[in-house]
Order: sequence, then structure tokens, then C-alpha cells
Amino acid sequence: MLGLRTTTIDQASKAGPGPVMKHFDEAALRLKVNARRTTALLAALGAVVTIPQPASAQTAVTLPAPPFELPMLPSPSGNWTVMVGIGGQYMPDFVGSKNGKFMPIPIFAIRRSGSIDQFRGPRDSASIALLDVGNFRAGPAFKYVASRKADKYAELTGLGDVKAAYELGGFVEYYPVDWLRLRSELRQGIGGHTGVVADISADVIVPLIQRLTISAGPRFTWKSTKATAPYFGVDATQALASGLARYDAKGGAHSVGFGSQISYRIDPQWEVHAYVEYEKLLGDAADSPLVKLRGSSNQTTVGIGASYSFDFRIR
Amino acid sequence: MRRIAVLWIGFAIATAVLGAAAAFETRASRLQAIKTVGIVSAIGDEMSLTQAGLTGLGNSAQSVSISAWGLDELIVQQTTRLLAGRYRVQPVTYRRAAFAAIRDSVVTPVNLLRSDPFKELVRSDITPQGLDAYIVITRARSKLGNGRSVEGVGFAEYRTLLANYGLIHALYEVRLIEGKSFDVIEKRAAAPLDNTGTVRIGGPSGQVDDTFDVPAANERLRAAIADLITRSLPVTLGDMHLIDGQ
Repeated sequence: MLGLRTTTIDQASKAGPGPVMKHFDEAALRLKVNARRTTALLAALGAVVTIPQPASAQTAVTLPAPPFELPMLPSPSGNWTVMVGIGGQYMPDFVGSKNGKFMPIPIFAIRRSGSIDQFRGPRDSASIALLDVGNFRAGPAFKYVASRKADKYAELTGLGDVKAAYELGGFVEYYPVDWLRLRSELRQGIGGHTGVVADISADVIVPLIQRLTISAGPRFTWKSTKATAPYFGVDATQALASGLARYDAKGGAHSVGFGSQISYRIDPQWEVHAYVEYEKLLGDAADSPLVKLRGSSNQTTVGIGASYSFDFRIR
Repeated sequence: MRRIAVLWIGFAIATAVLGAAAAFETRASRLQAIKTVGIVSAIGDEMSLTQAGLTGLGNSAQSVSISAWGLDELIVQQTTRLLAGRYRVQPVTYRRAAFAAIRDSVVTPVNLLRSDPFKELVRSDITPQGLDAYIVITRARSKLGNGRSVEGVGFAEYRTLLANYGLIHALYEVRLIEGKSFDVIEKRAAAPLDNTGTVRIGGPSGQVDDTFDVPAANERLRAAIADLITRSLPVTLGDMHLIDGQ
């Protein structure tokens, strides 16, 4: 039996009946709640989900009200939820590398208590939905692409540094059904590359039970020449210094891949997650001598993380 | 040279912020000036029936009329009782349908930039005018699952691979509108109560069990929704500093 909290209706009904309801028809009854399935698997899962838990994130501290409020901006007063955590990610040293490195990743988010944290894929850029009509969302997106230092990895010797890039653009997201997300991003690079990057992904999101969700789906990335050449091209000087053949990398289909993640909410405070993203480089990126001779077109990223949420209150 | 430029920019920002601080009254001072209030409630005429999670294609929300439940009367009654210690609450008349018809724009920045749509309605639609403030309670919206939005009063089924879960919700927001200028002094959506579990919804909600489909379910459903409202109103009004914090 699943550990559902089922007290609300019973308690409420004891509080006293209300007016007679004439208009509530059988449509409501078609949404029959059927929360108890007695399979052996469910029994095992039930044992997990009936672990006693605090009902919600507790308010830890109360901060004083701000001395003034700015026009047009909503008042900050009220309860806020902060999520802090730590994750780790094993990823290629650089795009096209055959070696990997482990990177710690801090997790931090703040939102109004009660606002919902939506599904997010590991490859998603930071984004804000300015347009939100339920199953369709759109807004600006931003991604930071770390610099590539030639002196950090032997494979890059002679290729020179590529500065950090800041990719600015937008995203659109569509849920034809609640369990399928289609997302696309289009970003313009500034800094390390000045090209255009387009990401397309689909995720099937399957809640196994309330707390346990798995998701998986394909990915595809397209990059323009200006977004590809700094990382995969080899000019005459670099060819001389690196020993690689001169290579003129053009834009086009950059990679195709597959990603999957699993998240488990232990209780309203604690959540753990893990993911894997596989990417196969395509086109001129895959054909680059850097990748062919010193790297690999198979790029895999694996990550895990744990986060803790708590509330604080502004008077 | 660069350092001097940075210092000047910092000085300009500090000046602008302090200027704004001096120019705008604090919420506390505006609340102190309020003595008489009128209460408007327009959340309760329809109940949505939604399915989320693992649902089929073409699954759309339905709604049923629950005007006979008298939820808005309950809200006005409860709010009046809660505010009576601090304010003189006066009965007001208004067109409930007009207040219930207003929706936020789906383009989020528009809601920040445009004048609050309830401001004009309070000015034109409420009798009597001239009270110090009006409290307007209307339905609020929340995500349920990933691609679904629910609003106001509703019953939702969240489907997973191994089990389905029933939820009731009463999502509403409260505006405190100044009675002379009709400025929105404060706007606050009711927060989730303690029993929201891990099917997340951004407002008062509760899980329900499978005894829901018994013949007496309607009465119990109404009582359960009323319970959500009754328990969440003191918290929401407390968060708005209209009553002592709960």
C-alpha cells in the first residue's frame, strides 16, 4: 500500500456539511482516484515511500521587512524556498577529448515558496520563461562556455587558447502531453566564439511514483562555422606548432546524442538525482584532426547531485 | 580612469535607490492609514477537473459549476471575521462575474508593466466607493506536473506509472487595493499548506484517497475545499500583515 496522506477529506467532512451541490455532475467521478495497487513491486516501493517525513520545508529564519519597496516590483515579503546542494560531473576535458575530468557543481536556486520547479534537462541553458501558456513556454536563454587553455592538456599543444564564450538567445518548450517535453534553443555566441548554436531535444518524462521520476530522450545540436572553427579548426600557424594537419572546420550538424536522468525526492527537503548524456560528434567537428588523431567523437557526461531545500521568511 | 568610472556608476545607482526609497511610502505606513475595508471574492463558481502526469493525448481539463457551494460567501465571511479585530469591514456589492473573468497575461512581463486590471474594476464596479481599502480575492494559477496549469478550485488526478494520486486545490490570490488612488498596496497568492506532499502545486491543496467516488463525495468535496480555504486564509492575510501572523 502506498503511503498516501488521506486525512484531508475525512477531517473536512467532520467539520460540517455545506450547501447542497446541484451542479457537480458525474464528470468529477470519472476522475476516480485509484491510488492503491497491490503488486509485489508496488509493495516494495510502498515500503520506501511510507518512511515518515516532515510535511514541508520548515521556515528556518525570519528576516525583517525591507525598509522600502520599489515600484512595479513585487514585494519580497513572504516565504521563500532556497535550494542548496552539491553535485559532481564527469565530463570530457574539452569538447572532442577522449579523456575526462571530474568537476564539482554547486546547486543553488531561490524561488517563492509554493512556486513549482519545472522539469529541467542537464543540457538546458539557464533560461526564464517570459511566455507561459501552460504547455508552451518561451523566453531568453544563456549558456556559459568555459575557456579552453592549450597549456592544460597535451592534446591541445600548439592550438592556442579559446576564450570563454557567452551564448545569448532564446528557448521554446512545448509539452504535447504532460510526459513529453520538446525543447529548442537558439543562441548567439559572444567572446570565445561568435557563431550560432541551435539545440533540439526531446524528453519522455515518466513519474514512476510521486517521488521518483525518470526521463530520457534524443538530442541534436547544430553549430555555424563561427561556432565550430575556434574549437575544431587548425590554421597554418597552429598546424606548424601542433603537428596536426591544417583543417578548415565548417558549420553544420554538430552532434547527435541521447540523455537520461533520474531524480528521487527523499522528502520535501532532500532530493537526489543522477544523469548521463551521450553525444556523438558529427560533420566537421568529428572530422577534425584534433578529434580524429588525439580525441574521440564519443562524448559522455555522467553526473550526480543532492540538494536540500529550506524556507526562510521576509516579514 | 576606469576605477573612477566604476565609482561614478556605483554612486549613481546608490543615489537612484535611495531616491526611490525616499519617494515611495512603505507598505507599513500605508497599512496604518487603513481603517475601513470592503471585501470582494470571486473564485468559486467553477471547479476544474484535471489530469496530469502520464495522461493520454488530447486530454483537456473540464470544469463544472459549483456556484451552489457558496465558496465566495464563505471567503467573505471568513475574511470579515479575521479582519474584524483591526478594521471596520463594510459590506460591498459588485459583479462577481466581472472580477472572475480577469486573467493574467501569459506574457509575464506584461503583468509587471501594465496597470493592475483589478484597479479599474474596483474603481468602477464596487459600491460603495470611498472606503480606505478593498480586499479583492480571485483565483490564482499554478503548474501541476510539467505541461498543465490549474487555477482556482479544482480536483486533479496525477497519474504515475505505478499509482494515481488525487488532489484537491483552492488556489487564490489576495489584493489589497487602496480606496482613493486604487493602487495595489499588496498582492499575495495563498501559499501551500503543510499537507501538499510531493505532488507539488503552488497553493493550498491536499491529497485525497479513493473513497472520493462514493455517492456523498460532493458534500465531502465541498467540505474539503472549504477546509483548505478556512485554514489558508489566516496564513495569507497574516503574510500580508493584515492580521497578526499565524
